Amino acid sequence: MHETGIAQSILDIAIKTALENGAKKINNVAVKVGKMNAIDEASLRFAFDALKEETMAANATFEYIDVPLTGKCEECGYESELEGYFVLCPKCSSGRVTILTGNELEIAYIDIE
Amino acid sequence: MEKIEINQKVLSKNDMDAAELRNRFKKNGTFTVNIMSSPGSGKTSLLEKILGALSSKYNVAVIEGDLQTENDKERIEKVGVKAVQIQTGGACHLEAAEIEKKLPFVDGDNLDLLIIENVGNLVCPSEYDLGQDANIILLSVTEGDDKPLKYPTMFFAGDIFIINKVDLAPYVDFDINKAVENAKKIKSTLEEFIISCKTEEGLDKVIDWFERGILAKKQCS
Repeated sequence: MHETGIAQSILDIAIKTALENGAKKINNVAVKVGKMNAIDEASLRFAFDALKEETMAANATFEYIDVPLTGKCEECGYESELEGYFVLCPKCSSGRVTILTGNELEIAYIDIE
Repeated sequence: MEKIEINQKVLSKNDMDAAELRNRFKKNGTFTVNIMSSPGSGKTSLLEKILGALSSKYNVAVIEGDLQTENDKERIEKVGVKAVQIQTGGACHLEAAEIEKKLPFVDGDNLDLLIIENVGNLVCPSEYDLGQDANIILLSVTEGDDKPLKYPTMFFAGDIFIINKVDLAPYVDFDINKAVENAKKIKSTLEEFIISCKTEEGLDKVIDWFERGILAKKQCS
């Protein structure tokens, strides 16, 4: 349900960047979404497609880049993808795990012309 | 066609607003807590029960978030605490800019403690930083002990985890140990509190947690 606001932020940043770079239109918007975000891909795409109408991104494709949840165990040093949403070391079961990836929600790049 | 690297966080406007709020709360020494739960877990009941003890010693205010009505604001005012309501209309979460706008209504620069009661929802509010020092996740025993596993992003955002309505535990299939264990699989540092707003069991420990937070914030402001 909050995907609409996020899609609007994505569009705002994409359009601002495109204008700063003298673009006429945006052909593609690539977004990195970490697993730890409560984001539904279909809802985000739906919102993006609805909001892009009548903007310079009207024909832009939406590139959704899934980022897995990975962590480094502070006890045994093991680095790996984490199982489910458990921030637990798969090797020694310690909870002292630093998240390496999976929190991202960022615009990676745009293609303009 | 040209490719432009951006690598910018998407919620950046909210993050900037939240960072400004965080600076302001730090300068003012205001311990700020964001409470999140499903609708009906007992967020407002918890506040009604603990605010009496806190407001006699500290300058306290509450910002209430709901889709509609001023019911919760009125409940808080009845216990003698300043409150302001945000009616989100249809939105499922609060944003930092809305908090900033409401601060003048509760003497927001002269507070020891500001409690933000977020919209009842275990998904969206966890995505939005409000400049808080701590997130409280509240769950009640009528909701099921697997909720941390079903809504991991919310529990990952939490600092403390409160299980409410424990007086009803004998009547429902809720395994308290399992709920705590499930929550700690998502975040091992979550501190848990087991309470009943009805019987007042465990509330003293929650009040104590708030007091420790208020005093710690004063020391670093």
